[in-house]
Amino acid sequence: MIGKRKRDTSVVSKSKKDKKDQAREESPTATESSAQDIFRKFFEAQFEPLEAQKNGATQDESDYGSSRDSEGLEDSGSESEWSGLDGEEEDDDENRPVEVVDYTAPSIKADALMDKRARKAFMSAKPPSSATELTSTTDHAKKGADEDDDKDTETMNLKNDLALQRLLKESHLLDSASDLAPTGKNRHKALDLRMQELGAKKSLYHQKNMPSSMRKGIKAKATSKEDKRRREARENGIILEKPAPKTNISSGRRERGVGGPSIGKFAGGTLNLSQRDIAQVQSARRGRGKGRGRGRGRGRGGR
Amino acid sequence: MATTSQPPIRLTSHKNFVYRLVFSTLTGRTVHISQIRPSSPTNPGLAPHEISFLRLLESVTNGSQMEISYTGTILVYKPGLITGSSAGAGSSSGGVVRHEIPAGCNRGVSYFLLPLCLLAPFSKAPIKVLFTGPGVITSSTPTGDMSVDSVRTAILPLFNQFGIFNNIELRVLKRSNPGPNGRGGGGEVQFVFGHQVRLPKTLHLMNAGKIKRIRGVAYSVGVSASNNARMIDVARGVLNPLVPDTYIFSDVSSAPLVPANDRNNPSAKKKIGLGFGLSLVAESSTGCLFSADVASPPSGGQPPEDIGKQCAYQLLETISKGGCVPSAAFPIMIGLMTMGSEDVGRLQVGRDVVGDESAIQLARDLVKFGAPGWGLRDASFGEEKTGDIVVSVVGRGIGNVGRKVA
Repeated sequence: MIGKRKRDTSVVSKSKKDKKDQAREESPTATESSAQDIFRKFFEAQFEPLEAQKNGATQDESDYGSSRDSEGLEDSGSESEWSGLDGEEEDDDENRPVEVVDYTAPSIKADALMDKRARKAFMSAKPPSSATELTSTTDHAKKGADEDDDKDTETMNLKNDLALQRLLKESHLLDSASDLAPTGKNRHKALDLRMQELGAKKSLYHQKNMPSSMRKGIKAKATSKEDKRRREARENGIILEKPAPKTNISSGRRERGVGGPSIGKFAGGTLNLSQRDIAQVQSARRGRGKGRGRGRGRGRGGR
Repeated sequence: MATTSQPPIRLTSHKNFVYRLVFSTLTGRTVHISQIRPSSPTNPGLAPHEISFLRLLESVTNGSQMEISYTGTILVYKPGLITGSSAGAGSSSGGVVRHEIPAGCNRGVSYFLLPLCLLAPFSKAPIKVLFTGPGVITSSTPTGDMSVDSVRTAILPLFNQFGIFNNIELRVLKRSNPGPNGRGGGGEVQFVFGHQVRLPKTLHLMNAGKIKRIRGVAYSVGVSASNNARMIDVARGVLNPLVPDTYIFSDVSSAPLVPANDRNNPSAKKKIGLGFGLSLVAESSTGCLFSADVASPPSGGQPPEDIGKQCAYQLLETISKGGCVPSAAFPIMIGLMTMGSEDVGRLQVGRDVVGDESAIQLARDLVKFGAPGWGLRDASFGEEKTGDIVVSVVGRGIGNVGRKVA
């Protein structure tokens, strides 16, 4: 090893003597050795450092810098192998390539491809909202891949969904039946339910005319049933849904015929105006709404 | 009107001019502003952009009166109703107010946009304004205005927090940097604010969150697009290590043409407003927005790398001030909170933001307009103090007079 080193230093010293000539001669060997060096480093990076190989390659450490070279030169003349070894160890520590992180050259290549949707979303006339940008690329890419699969499963899902919905809605009809598909009378009832769901006004089985006492009885029974259910639930501490709000049919304005008076009541050839009607007419003329609004504004503004 | 019985509010100097007029319009109080640049030997009184703003106010309101003294140093403004741009009244086809800015204007169009944004939610009808003319500068300016892009990406999303989000648009039809000597430009901007409310929601914004993304727009007008790339490169070099989710979009446009006013050739046109600039917006995890704006100076001589770096650092500085709101958006937030319902809204801002000269001027003006004072206290995160300040603002409950149902 030392011998090698000495030979090497002598070479370097030669090169110092007449650089021009030497440079030409040295260059092939230098490149060769540097190539070796690269291989060695690559190997060392993967596996363990090579002792035997190192001997051959140590001189090439000089490639790292001329300063090291000159040091080696000075050492070689007078000092023993110790210093050489020392130098080598230092080499191992110091010649590990310094990691340089260059922040001034970010990789813009990646986002040159940045999706146009994000650009469109941001550069449009609307103020960008934070929510829109989140769902950009991922679902887009997926769509292309398993679009066909999706279609099949989608239709199947829809079918099953419909069947399940129907079953849930019409399950009360199936109490008596043995089959899941309603038959006979139950089928008619199910059809009736579906029609109502699609917007039919009344059930087919709605009885239009019946004695008033009977209708009253039906209603009374229904309310008493509901009352009983609620009372029992309350006693047992069960919370039920809130009772549906009662719809007052008479409260809304009835659809009037065409051509009738827009105000008051026409009866017996005379138009009868109530007190309210008169007040309404008068207020409309004076622009009551506006006046009040301004009045309130003044009150606030003065505060 | 009710307002006539009250004496006008007396204010002095030209500072905070636009917001004074806006608050006057919103509260319905007459203002008397005196000593507007009285000691300037060359240009005393109102500047061209201020006159232009008065014209804009006149076109979006109904029944406002303004009197300007001979020298222009005194202004009396009696506000009317904010009608917006309903078809017919002061607006051209389709109910769009066309606002021409004169050539001598040295302020960016955001000078007009920001106060208009504050007025718009309280308008009776949607506000649609088209800014045109030889004075529209869309970029940021040396006079301290932000670019149109920053208005769109950093200011308009703030209205979302007040429940105002529908049909708001800011479309840049033509870009322009400031022209020679920083005056004039040939841009064109369309602004639509179609969400009017009775009262903005009460705001409690106390958590600034962490910055999660940075977006930006690099624009170059009439110059090479490589300027954009260079600005973006440097800005990303600064910002990318801090926030990986950083994207800056590039927008290149040709220089706008404006009439040259040549006597021999009346149809002659000239190019104006060449330059480039960068607008950056950082968004936090809680939706707080911070913006920075730098554009090339009208005199030129600054490489795009410098602009990019300067803008990135400016953004970092804005964020470092802390709080949920940068000083650029502070007047708008406070204005909306003041106009809100009679409830206490809270806003956490950085110490430097609330201690800023303009913020204090705003506070003083608001007090003159009869708003209750702000409550200030140190913000704390759990036990420790964050150094920010929580500003509590009581709304006045005025809201939208035009929307008041009788």
